Amino acid sequence: MTEETISSAAEEAGKAKPRQRSLSGRLIAVATIWSVVAIAVAGFILVTLYRQASESAFDERLDVYVKAIIGDMAGGEPGKPTRPDNLGEPRFDLPVSGWYWTIVDDRQGAVVFASLSLFGDALDLPALPASGETTSVTSGPDGEEIRILQRRITFNDEEVYRIAVAGATKELREQTAEFAGQVALTLTVLGLGLVGAIFLQVRVGLRPLRDLRQSLANVRNGDAESVEEDLPKELAPLAIELNDLIRSNREIVERARTHVGNLAHALKTPLSVITNEARGTDGPFAAKMAEQAAIMRTQVEHHLERARMAAQRRVIGVSAEIEPVVARLARAMSKIHADKDLDIDFEVPKGIRFRGEQQDLEELIGNLLDNACKWSNSRVCVTVKPAPAAGEGRERVEIEVSDDGPGLTAEQRKEAVKRGRRLDETVPGTGLGLSIVADIARIYGGALELDVSELGGLSARLILPMAQAAVRI
Amino acid sequence: MRILVVEDDLDLNRQLCEALTEAGYVVDHAEDGEEGHFLGDTEPYDAVILDLGLPVLDGLSVLENWRRDGKTMPVLILTARDRWSDKVAGIDAGADDYVAKPFHMEEVLARVRALVRRAAGHASNEIICGPLRLDIKAGKLTKDGASVKLTSHEYRLISYLMHQKGRVVSRTELIEHLYDQDFDRDSNTIEVFVGRLRKKLGGELIETVRGLGYRLGSEND
Repeated sequence: MTEETISSAAEEAGKAKPRQRSLSGRLIAVATIWSVVAIAVAGFILVTLYRQASESAFDERLDVYVKAIIGDMAGGEPGKPTRPDNLGEPRFDLPVSGWYWTIVDDRQGAVVFASLSLFGDALDLPALPASGETTSVTSGPDGEEIRILQRRITFNDEEVYRIAVAGATKELREQTAEFAGQVALTLTVLGLGLVGAIFLQVRVGLRPLRDLRQSLANVRNGDAESVEEDLPKELAPLAIELNDLIRSNREIVERARTHVGNLAHALKTPLSVITNEARGTDGPFAAKMAEQAAIMRTQVEHHLERARMAAQRRVIGVSAEIEPVVARLARAMSKIHADKDLDIDFEVPKGIRFRGEQQDLEELIGNLLDNACKWSNSRVCVTVKPAPAAGEGRERVEIEVSDDGPGLTAEQRKEAVKRGRRLDETVPGTGLGLSIVADIARIYGGALELDVSELGGLSARLILPMAQAAVRI
Repeated sequence: MRILVVEDDLDLNRQLCEALTEAGYVVDHAEDGEEGHFLGDTEPYDAVILDLGLPVLDGLSVLENWRRDGKTMPVLILTARDRWSDKVAGIDAGADDYVAKPFHMEEVLARVRALVRRAAGHASNEIICGPLRLDIKAGKLTKDGASVKLTSHEYRLISYLMHQKGRVVSRTELIEHLYDQDFDRDSNTIEVFVGRLRKKLGGELIETVRGLGYRLGSEND
C-alpha cells in the first residue's frame, strides 16, 4: 500500500467516526460540570439557611413584641386589660406601615385593642391551633405580605385573648434577595477561579503528553533519533515501546539493505567472470554468452536498485548533516579523478541537515558530483542553501552541483533524467546515474532539475526535504 | 611492474592474473585477506587490486592495516557494493580508485595503468626520456620516432626504468618489481636484460651507477 492510500484510508476512517475529543477537553469538561453543580447546590443551601435564620430572627422579634404586649396588658389596672402603647416601635403607630398588632377576645371574636397602624381595619387572622401559638404568612390590610405571630393567653383565669403581632416581610425578602445576589457573585467568582485552576492543572498535568507528542514529531521530522524517555512513570513505558518500534523499524530496513548488498555481491562476481571469460573467447557461443551476461547485468542493476528504493524512506527519525557528506565525497572525488587535477569547491552552511538516510544523501550527491567530475574541465562547484518551504513544517534544501564541462542541450537534459539513459557510452558508468538521482529525490518528495551552470557546463539542482533542526549559518 | 591481486573468487582471480600478465605486469595473487595482507606487507608492489569482500580478513581492514603501517602503494578496490557510501568508505580507508563489479577487464587495466603512472608522478600515458618515448596504454616504445621491438621481459625492465627515470634503481629493486616472489634472486638475469636493451637502444641511455644500480636519463630530464 502506498503512502497516499494509507493516508486517505485514515482520512475516511476519520470522517466515518467522529474524532475523539481531546483529553484535556474531557478533563476540563467533567471538572467544570462538577464544579458548577457543586457551587449551585452550595449557593442554594446557603441562601436557604440564610432565609431560615432571618425568618427565625424575625419571629423572635415578633415574639418580643408579643411578650411586651402581654406585659403592658397586665401592667395597668388589676383585673382589666390595658391597652399597650409603648412597644418601642414607631411603625406600629404609622398608618399602614406593615407593622401591626391586635388583641382579640378569643371567645367573642371582637377586637379589644389594635395598633394605630391598622387605622381601624381588622387584621385578617389565620386560624389558631389548639396549641395556642402559630406563625403564618398572610396578606395585610394594604395587600402586602406579612408574617404574623399569634398567641392565645388567658387573662384573670376567665378571659381568653388572642394576641397577634405582624410585620411586613418585604424587608426580609429584600435582605434575602440581596444576600442571594452576593452569594451568587461570590460563588461565580469562586467558580471561575476553580475552572481556571482546573484548566491550569490539566495543562500542567498533561504537559508530559504534549512533550511526548513533540518528541515524536521531532523523530518523524528527523530532528531526533529516538523519543525522550525521561517522562512520568505512566508515560515512560509508552516512550520505551515507541523507541523499540523505531529501532526495530530501523533494523528491518538495515537488514533488507544488507540482504540487497549480499545479493549484489553474490551475483556480480560470477557475472564479472562470465563477462570476461566470454570476451576473451572467440566464436558464436562466447558472443551469445557475452550478450546474455550484459542483459543479466542490466537486469541485476535494475532490480537491485528497485529493491534499494523499496527499502528507502521507510525509516522514520533519521537525518544527515550535509556538510560532512559533501566534504567526504569531494575528498574522494579528487582522489578518484586525480588525473584531471580538479578544483572542487563547496559551500555548505554548517548544521544544515537532510531529512532522510545518510546513504541516500551520499548516493544523490555522489552521483551528481561524480558526473560533474567526469565531464568538467577544471572546476566543479557544490552549493547548498535552504530553499523556499513547500508548506507549513516542510522546509527544503537546495543542493546545486555545477561544472565547467560541455553541458547538455535542453533535449539531452530532458532525456538524462529518464531511467537507464546513458548519454555517452564512452564515459564509464552504469547508465543509471542521473535517473537514479531523480528517482531517489522523487521518493523523498524532492526533485532534480538540470540547467546550464554559471561555470558554463551542467548545473544539477536537487530539492530535498530539510530537517527542522536550527540552521546555523 | 609488479601487481598483487587479492580476490577470493578463484575464476575472477585467474582472469585478472591472466589479463595483467598479458598486459606486461608481473602478478602475485592471494585468495584471502590474511594472505593478501601478508604479501602486501612484505613485498614491494607497484599496485594492488583488492576485493573488499574477502574471507578471513575483509578488504577494508587489509587496506587500513597497510596504510597504518605506512604502505603507500596505489590500491584499486573491487567492490560489488557500489553505493557511494561503500565507495567513499573504501577511498577513506586509503584506496586510490575503485571499480564496481561486474566490470570489463579493459576498465581494470586502464585504472591500474593510471594508478602506476600517477604513483610514479607522471601525468599522462606517455613518458618521454631523451629520444625514448613510452606509450603505456599501447605498451610501445619508440626511439627517435621509430618503433623498438622488445620482448616482454625487456619491456618490463625499460618500462620500470622509464617510470623511475632520473633515479638510481638498484638491482634488488628491479628484481622485486619485475619478478614474482618465486624468482631466484641470485641469478644475473637483470644484467643480461640490461645488456640486451643497451644493444637495442644504444649503450649510453642506461647508465650503470657503480655499487648502486642503474639510471635512465638525468635527474632534470
